[in-house]
Amino acid sequence: MSERNDDFITYELQEFKLFEPLFRWARKKSLWIVAFCTGCGGIEMPPLFTARYDIERFGMMPNPSPRMADLFLITGYVTPKTLKRIIITYEMIPDPKYIIAHGSCPINGGVYWDSYNVVKQLDKYIPIDVAIAGCMPRPEAVMDGIQEIMRKIESGEADGWKRYRENYEWYRKNQDELFGEGWRERDARRWLAWI
Amino acid sequence: MDMNEKPKVEEKEVQEMEVQKLPDTKEGRLVAELLEKAPYAEGSVRRERRIEFRVPKEEVKNFLRLASEKFEILLQITVVDWLKESEFEVIYQLWSVSENVHAMVRTRIPRDDPRLPTVMDIWPVAETYEREAHEFFGVIYEGNPRLGPFILEPKEYEKHPLRKDFNMLGYVKMVYGEDFDRYDESKTNYVI
Repeated sequence: MSERNDDFITYELQEFKLFEPLFRWARKKSLWIVAFCTGCGGIEMPPLFTARYDIERFGMMPNPSPRMADLFLITGYVTPKTLKRIIITYEMIPDPKYIIAHGSCPINGGVYWDSYNVVKQLDKYIPIDVAIAGCMPRPEAVMDGIQEIMRKIESGEADGWKRYRENYEWYRKNQDELFGEGWRERDARRWLAWI
Repeated sequence: MDMNEKPKVEEKEVQEMEVQKLPDTKEGRLVAELLEKAPYAEGSVRRERRIEFRVPKEEVKNFLRLASEKFEILLQITVVDWLKESEFEVIYQLWSVSENVHAMVRTRIPRDDPRLPTVMDIWPVAETYEREAHEFFGVIYEGNPRLGPFILEPKEYEKHPLRKDFNMLGYVKMVYGEDFDRYDESKTNYVI
């Protein structure tokens, strides 16, 4: 391949490239969220989904199935134990998929920076598209991050799923360093028999 | 000078104040009742609805069995690490539904061989608390069949991370890498 593939459409359906702007616009307007509230950010979710900050007007919907989701919210600190589940859930989401990381903990450990069981830099293990700083970010800040990811989806900058695909060896190496070799076989197979 | 004329408390009075008499309240009567049955323990009333006992480690199970007649609920088992004294302090938090009184039973065990009998046969809920104390501090509860890895990852379980001599920063550096300048110990101020 001489030309670098630019979007999901070009991997699968070259001839539909004409409609790519339309598909991007549609994706931006119909984000479904995996309801996987990790850490303290779960507290910010109810006001975000309910009447006051109602994010359904953006076409977003909390959906408990990773197989039918686009957006993955990492809300707060991540422990190695949770990170295993996060990685497996992330890999179950079909492409294209996007990640918003809430708060300072996924960026650099936050207040738990010297704790023995909080992952210091989430971006080493899975690709993050938008990181919202703060501890915790208010729903307004989360909505600002949502608008940012909508902008990035439409302009094609939200390419975390592509980075994960292209640099999979690097991500896999970091994951194996943290969990030990063969963690998928050891742990994930107990939760998901088909892995 | 007025300042110098303050009456000084004599030594005899201090000694008398230390031997605190149990007050004639519900709490005082509870303590007296238990101490009568268990003369090896020390008991005191901290304040309203709070009482405290200190028990030697050999007698702790007998004492808890006596106490369980009045104190129906075991709220928690916690461990305090006294590193300089080379001892663990195990604290049993008990709650009496009938009397509305909270009791704290403290006992000290040596740090190099921390062993205690399990209290699962008195309060079955103790199983979970003992597993947790075992995981974070390495206290061995003899008779608890499920001691072992519980909440932590296997790597952390071996280290007993809540012990005071657990090198937290060294462990963080080892596991999560050293590519953050905030781990630089020569810096005086860390940015969190």
